[in-house]
Amino acid sequence: MNKAIIVTALVAGPVLWGVVAGLSKPAKMRNAFVILGSFFTIIAGLLALKGGRFTFSPGPWEAGLSFALELATILAILGVAIRIRSRPILYLAALQLAVALAGHIIGTGTGGVLEPVFILDALSMVLVLVISLVGPVIVLFAIGYMEQHAHHAPPTAAGERRFFFIMLAFLGAMNGLVLANSLQWLASFWEITTLCSFFLIGYDGTDESRANAQRALLINTFGGLALTVGSFWCITHGTDTLTGLKAAQLVIPMAFLCLAALTKSAQVPFQSWLLGAMVAPTPVSALLHSATMVKAGSYLVLRLAPAFRGTDLMVVLALTGAFTFAAASFLAIVQSNAKKVLAYSTISNLGLIVACAGIDSPLAYAAAVMILIYHAVSKGLLFLCVGTIEQSIGSRDIEDMGGIMYKMPFTTVVALLGMVSMLLPPFGMLLSKWMAIEASINMPVVMFLIVVGSAFSVLFWAKWLGRIQTVSFHPRYTLEPLSPFMRASLFILAVGVLVLGFGSIILYRDILRPMVTGIFQRIPVGVSEWSIFRADSEFAFWPFIVIPGVFLILAIISSLRIRREQVRLPYLAGENVDMKDWSVDGDVLSYSFRTFRDRFEPAWSSSQYMRSSVNEAKIVPWLNMVAFLLILAMFGKIHLL
Amino acid sequence: MKALARSPWICHYNCNSCNGCDIELLACLTPLYDVERFGVINVGNPKHADILVVTGSVNHRNARVLKNIYDQVPKPNVVVALGVCTSSGGIFAGCYNILGGIDKVIPVDVFVVGCPPKPEAMIDGFAKAIGLLDAKAKGLSTPLAEKPRICMVPTVRPEAEAPVSSEKA
Amino acid sequence: MVDVPQWLIIILALVYAPIIGLFLMGIERKLSARFQGRIGPPLFQPYYDLMKLFSKEALVLNRVQILYAYLHLAFMMVTVVLLVLGQDLLLVLFAHAFSTICLILGGMCVRSPYSRIGSHRKIMQMVAYEPIMILMVIGIYINQGSFMGRDVFLLGKPMLLTLPLIFVAFVVAGMIKLDKSPFDVATSHHAHQELVKGITIEYSGPFLGIIELTFAYEVFVIFGVMACFWTTNLWAGLGLALAGYGTMILVDNLTARLTTNWMVRYMWSIPLVLALSNLIWIYK
Repeated sequence: MNKAIIVTALVAGPVLWGVVAGLSKPAKMRNAFVILGSFFTIIAGLLALKGGRFTFSPGPWEAGLSFALELATILAILGVAIRIRSRPILYLAALQLAVALAGHIIGTGTGGVLEPVFILDALSMVLVLVISLVGPVIVLFAIGYMEQHAHHAPPTAAGERRFFFIMLAFLGAMNGLVLANSLQWLASFWEITTLCSFFLIGYDGTDESRANAQRALLINTFGGLALTVGSFWCITHGTDTLTGLKAAQLVIPMAFLCLAALTKSAQVPFQSWLLGAMVAPTPVSALLHSATMVKAGSYLVLRLAPAFRGTDLMVVLALTGAFTFAAASFLAIVQSNAKKVLAYSTISNLGLIVACAGIDSPLAYAAAVMILIYHAVSKGLLFLCVGTIEQSIGSRDIEDMGGIMYKMPFTTVVALLGMVSMLLPPFGMLLSKWMAIEASINMPVVMFLIVVGSAFSVLFWAKWLGRIQTVSFHPRYTLEPLSPFMRASLFILAVGVLVLGFGSIILYRDILRPMVTGIFQRIPVGVSEWSIFRADSEFAFWPFIVIPGVFLILAIISSLRIRREQVRLPYLAGENVDMKDWSVDGDVLSYSFRTFRDRFEPAWSSSQYMRSSVNEAKIVPWLNMVAFLLILAMFGKIHLL
Repeated sequence: MKALARSPWICHYNCNSCNGCDIELLACLTPLYDVERFGVINVGNPKHADILVVTGSVNHRNARVLKNIYDQVPKPNVVVALGVCTSSGGIFAGCYNILGGIDKVIPVDVFVVGCPPKPEAMIDGFAKAIGLLDAKAKGLSTPLAEKPRICMVPTVRPEAEAPVSSEKA
Repeated sequence: MVDVPQWLIIILALVYAPIIGLFLMGIERKLSARFQGRIGPPLFQPYYDLMKLFSKEALVLNRVQILYAYLHLAFMMVTVVLLVLGQDLLLVLFAHAFSTICLILGGMCVRSPYSRIGSHRKIMQMVAYEPIMILMVIGIYINQGSFMGRDVFLLGKPMLLTLPLIFVAFVVAGMIKLDKSPFDVATSHHAHQELVKGITIEYSGPFLGIIELTFAYEVFVIFGVMACFWTTNLWAGLGLALAGYGTMILVDNLTARLTTNWMVRYMWSIPLVLALSNLIWIYK
C-alpha cells in the first residue's frame, strides 16, 4: 500500500468529504455525504492498520506547504480574534505569528539530518484507530441528533452544513496531528483543531456559547504559543522534528510542549475551557472528550515522555497529572449536572494519562495507552447517551434521571454499560488504574493522589449509577423510539465497549506490552518493572469472569421468576399510598405517602453532593493555584526560571 | 424443628396503644427475660420479620397502616396481638373512632391477654407463635386464634353523655 | 507438603469460608450477650437465621435489586478466591470494593428513602476505610517487595513486627466493614431501628439471605487478613485474629453509634495517620 495514499486518505479524506457535505444544501444529500465520509474515514483507519508502520516524507516541497498552513491558521486565529474583539487572543496570536516567522528566518537548519515528516508507529496507530473508528460513529450519531436539535436550537445557531464540515475536518486534522513528526505540521494541525473546537463550541451562537468558545480559543491559543515557542527552540538548536527533539534530549522545548499539551488536555488550571465546552450540542462534547482535541495533548506527552525518563521534568509532570486526577475527581462529586460530571471525569482521566506518562515506568506507559483507548470509547458512548437522555427528558440533571430505565430502556442499558466500563472489572479502566497504582509505587505522593482520586471517582460513578437505574417494577419493557442513526451509533459503541472490555487482558498482553517494549527499547528496562504486575502470566483473571458470570445468570433466572404478587411498595412506615394507585401511574403516586390531612407527598431522597461542606467556587481557585505552582516548578526544574 | 421456628424475628407495630404493652415488650429483651435465647430479634422492618407483634386497638386511620405493614411481612408469618386492646379495643372500646380489635383488619394467630400482659405471658405467646411458625413452615394449615373471653369493654353510661350545660343550669 | 490442586482449594474455600464466618458471627452474638448480662442465642443461631431466610417468601420492589444482591455475593466470592490463591492484594481490594459497590447500588436502585440514605452512608463508609486498606497493601508491598498475597508467607517473619500500626488501623477499618458501633451508620446488626435497617431494608427472604451469606464471607475475609499478620505460627495467627475480632466486639458493645461525618473525620485523622506513620517508618 502506498504510504502517500494512506496519509492523504487519513488527513485530507475526511476534510474533503466535509467540504462536499458542507456544500450540499439538501439535507438528505448532505446526510448521505456525511455517511460516506464517515465510512471513508473508518476504511482509511483500517487501511492504515493493515498497511502497518511506516515513515513518510513527501518531498522538499512539504516544508513550504506546512509553513504556509501554519501561517494560514495563525492568521485565521488573528482574524477571529479581530472579529470577536478579543484583545488577549489577538496579542497571543500575534506573538505566535512573530515567533513562528522568527523561527523560520533564523532557524539554523537540521544540519543535514533528514528525519521523516510523517510517522505511523504503534502509538500513532492507536490514536489513528481511536480517531477514525470512534470519531465517525459520533458523526453518524450527530446526523440523528442534529435533526432533533434543529427543532429547539436558538435562531443564532450556525447552519448544519458548517457543523458537519467542521466535524469531519476535525477528524482529518486530528489524524494529521498524530501522524506528524515535523514540528511545523504538528503546529499547523494543532491550530486547526483549536479553530475547529472554537467554531463547534460556539455553534449555538448564544451569549453563553460564544463566551465559552472565546475562552476555549484563548486558552488553546496560549497552548499554541507554548508549542510555537517550543518548536522555535528546537529549530534554533538544529532539529525540526519530534524524533530529533527526542534524540537531542532538549529538555526546555520539551517543557514548552508539555505546557501546550496540558492546555489541550484541559489539565488543572486550564480545565475551564473544557467545562465551558458542554454548551455545545452533545455530539461536539462527545467528539472533544473522546476521540479528538483532548487526546491531542495526552498524545503529545505520551509521544515525548519515554525520551525524558529520569529527568526532574517527568517527576513534576507526574505530580501535575496526578494532582489533576485527584482534584477533578473530587470536583465531580459535587456536580449533579450529568455533562459536567462527565467533563470532570474526562479531565481526571487525562490527568491520569499524564501522570502515567510521567511515572518513569513502561508499565505506567502501557496503562496510559490503555486508559486512552478505553476512555475514548466509553466516554464517547456516555456523552451520546446523555445527549439522547437529555433530548428525551429535557434535563441533564442526574437527579431527574430516576425512572428512565422504564422510559428509555435501550439508552439506559447502554449508558449503564458505559458507566460500568469506567468502574468495574473486567473492563479496561480498572485494569489500567491497577497498573498505574502498582507502577507508581516508587513515587509515594503520586500514588497517594491516584489512590485518592480513584476513591473519589468510584463515589461519583456509584451515585449516578444508583440514580439512573432507580425503577419501579414493570412486567415488561418496550424499546423507546429513536432515530436510526442514534440507535446504530449507540449500539456500535456499546459493542465496542463490550469487546474491548472482555479483551482487556489480551489487549494488554498481546498488543500493548510488545508495543511499549518497542517504545522503550533503547532505554534499559529492568525486568522488575514489568514483573510488579503479573496480570499477563500469573493473574487469575478467570474468577472475575466466571463467578460474576454464573451469578449474573442466576440473578436473571431468579428475577424472571418474580411474580407480580411478590412485588411490594417500599417501607414507608405503613403510610404508603395504596397499591391500587400504582398501576395508574407507576412512577409517582405509588411512591407517595400520606402526610397530614391525607395529602400525598412523594418519598424522595436526593443523592449526596456534599454541597454544605464543599463550595466549588471557593475551592477551584485554590486548586488552580496549586496546579499553577506545579507548572512553575516544572519550568523551575529545567532551570529556565 | 424447622429453621424458621428457630429464628423468629419480630416486628413490633404500635397501633393505638397507651405504651404499656410496648414497654413490657421491650422488657422481654432485657437480661432478665432475654428472648434472644430463642433467636428472637426485634427488627424494625416488616420485610425482615417473621412475627408481627401488634399492640393497641385499631382506629380508622391506623387500620390502613396496619394492613400495609401486614402486607409487607413475607410469608410464612404469624401475627401476635399483645394486650387486651388488640382483642376488643380494651379501654378505648366504644370511643367514637375505634373499630375494635385488630382481628377486624388482619388475621391474628395468637392473642396474649393482659393490660399490659406480663413479660412471661408474652414469652408464652411467642412460644405459641413459634409452634405455629413451625407448623406453617411444614405446610400445615393452622387455625386462627379464638378471641380471648376476658375483654375489658367499659359500659357506656347514658348519663355520661348528657350535655354538661344542663347540669350547670 | 501435599500438592493440592487449585480447583480443590477454591471449592474448599468457597464452602468453608461462610461456615467459619457464620461460626464467628455466632461467637460474636454469644459474646455480646454475655457482655450485656444475657444468656444469648445458641452458638449456631446465624446458621438458623440463614436457613430461615432462604425458606421465606421473597418480596421485591423491582428486578434490578435482585441482580445486585447476587453480584454482591459474586464479587465477595471473587475476593475469597483471589485471597486463598494468594493473588495480587490490590486486586483483592478492588474485588472487595466492588462487592460493597454492588450492595450500594442494590440499595440505591429502589425508591425507598431509607434504603437510599443507607446507601449514601455506605459510600461514606467506603470513603472512610478504603484509604486505610490501600495503605495496608502499600505497607505489605514495601515489606515484601511484591503485591502478591502468597509472598506474605515467604517472608519468614510475622508482618505484625513491621506493620503494627497498620494492624491497628486495619482493625478499626474492619469495624466499619463489619458494621460495628460506633461506625454502624449504614446498617447494623443490632438495635435494628436505626434507619430501619438502612441499606438492606428492601431485601427480604432469600435475597436478604444472600446478603447475610456475603456478610459471613466478609467476616471470614477480615478474620483471615488479621490472621495473616502472623504467618509463622498458625496458633499465633489465630490468636491475633481472635484478639482483633474480640476487640471489635468489645468496642461494639462499649460505644454508641455516631454520625457519618464524625466517622469520616475520625478515620481520616487517627487511623490514617497511624497507617501513614507506619509507612514512613518502614519506607526504604
